[in-house]
Amino acid sequence: MKLRNEAPARQPDEKTPWVERETLVEASPDEVWEALTDEDRLEEWLAPDVELDPTEGGEIVVRDGEDERFGTVETVEEAERFAFTWSRPGEDESFVEFTIEALPGGSRVTVVETPTRSAASNTAAGSTAMAAGGWGPRLARLQRSMRFALVA
Amino acid sequence: MVETLARGGTVTASGLADQLPITRQAVAKHLSALRGADLVTSTRVGRETRYELRPQPLDEAAQWIQTVSAEWDDRLDSLRRSIEKRAGRSK
Repeated sequence: MKLRNEAPARQPDEKTPWVERETLVEASPDEVWEALTDEDRLEEWLAPDVELDPTEGGEIVVRDGEDERFGTVETVEEAERFAFTWSRPGEDESFVEFTIEALPGGSRVTVVETPTRSAASNTAAGSTAMAAGGWGPRLARLQRSMRFALVA
Repeated sequence: MVETLARGGTVTASGLADQLPITRQAVAKHLSALRGADLVTSTRVGRETRYELRPQPLDEAAQWIQTVSAEWDDRLDSLRRSIEKRAGRSK
């Protein structure tokens, strides 16, 4: 169970979960950029139904059947960086950022997803309250499982 | 032991052993298992090591990381295939 990933230097807060994945593509950063920021292209790989206004502050909607996510575009730096927030209705919001790096013969595409500050601080506040005395169900569950694992 | 840690803020291994019906050696072993699972952090203060429970819903965080990592692996794979298919066609 690791909470840290391979790039701790970019991690904003070690208590916030953080996912970073990458892929190498045999295409130029411009070609990658088009696939990341064009609605029709996004529908080829991200979800069957995508609406995107690829400008900062623009809306993004990603639908896959019943599964819907809504968000706001945060960063648009052509052929380099594209970021937005998204969330399912009623769930915590997370921040998604793509970076594109030119390589000989292709590009590296890196994506980071992490809960946004507000989602992360909700979690931190809840946990602090639990640790301060109130036995939240999560900690009680953790306690039970650890006691079982270590003492049994 | 997790209960004692959750109550106590930061504690030393011998402080824990005093409060629990187990030996100091057993406490050290359990602390090492908890550290290995990222459930406890340790800091050195002078000559003693103090331990603290990581006050966060770790099970949920770990679950989130696992799910989201798998989702992006799939999506990035589709992204790569989508781009390379198009690049191949235009050549």
